[in-house]
Amino acid sequence: MKIPVTVADDSKMSRNVVKRAFPEDWNIVITEACNGKEALVAVAEGKADVLFLDLTMPELDGFGVLQQLHDQHVKTIVIVISADIQPEAKRLVDSLGAFRFLQKPLQPNELRETLHELGLL
Amino acid sequence: MNNVLNEDQRDALQELMNISMGRAANALARLIGTKVSLSIPRIVAVTPEEFNQILTNKQSCYTRQSFLGGVKGEVLTILSEQGCCSIAELMEFELPLNEDSHNELLLELANILAGACLTGFSEQLDLNTKLSMPTVFVPEKRLQTQANWASTLLMEVEFKVEASHFDSRVVICLESLSVDTLLTSLGALLE
Repeated sequence: MKIPVTVADDSKMSRNVVKRAFPEDWNIVITEACNGKEALVAVAEGKADVLFLDLTMPELDGFGVLQQLHDQHVKTIVIVISADIQPEAKRLVDSLGAFRFLQKPLQPNELRETLHELGLL
Repeated sequence: MNNVLNEDQRDALQELMNISMGRAANALARLIGTKVSLSIPRIVAVTPEEFNQILTNKQSCYTRQSFLGGVKGEVLTILSEQGCCSIAELMEFELPLNEDSHNELLLELANILAGACLTGFSEQLDLNTKLSMPTVFVPEKRLQTQANWASTLLMEVEFKVEASHFDSRVVICLESLSVDTLLTSLGALLE
């Protein structure tokens, strides 16, 4: 059974960076979202057991996505990958229930370690 | 350069800048002790006419810095007079600002903004660049011959600090050889 994961980022390059960092043997089916609204649709459609989420996005930003998932008690595992590295952003993300906060530029090793820690591999 | 820069390259450049400006915002937040939010950076290529237009705004403050290395050119930082004042207030400068404090603040902000941009370019594209210290730039005093850059990229980003928000623009001027270098490096990243 493949794990449904969604990569939400408005930058195509960043989505590619995240996808390239995934271990080759990870049994997943990937959905891409270009903004927060698309990310929420992917979650609603069951395409995001794991959601890799950018914070600075048009339409609805990552904080908005986290807020809605939090309010609706959604079980999606959220890993935030963001260029907004201010302590304040990390605190807010943590309080909204994201599992991890990874800084951009994304280090592939760091992503893999995170997946191990969360028992996703 | 509008023709040279395709959609994927523009996206990549914008994302590099987004990462760089995230660092700039973090540095700025430390400086003024409060959270800074920033808009998604917008990147456009500008013509010499548009470039000159940018330099004629009386409400703007300018600084310039040159850079050397893998890519060569210069970078201008543009802040609104009002933006400078908002930051000065948050940093508890004595208002109204005298000329010395005004310039000191301007150069500090330019160093953070332009420094982050250039570091973003060089690190993520694997280009080694050195940035000179900023100087306050008065467009009226410049020599016309200085304006002949092969390509000019304009990056606009809006910072919001608590109740106040201000626009800041970083203009990166590149020599023609440097444009090729930049595009090659971007290509490697997009493969």
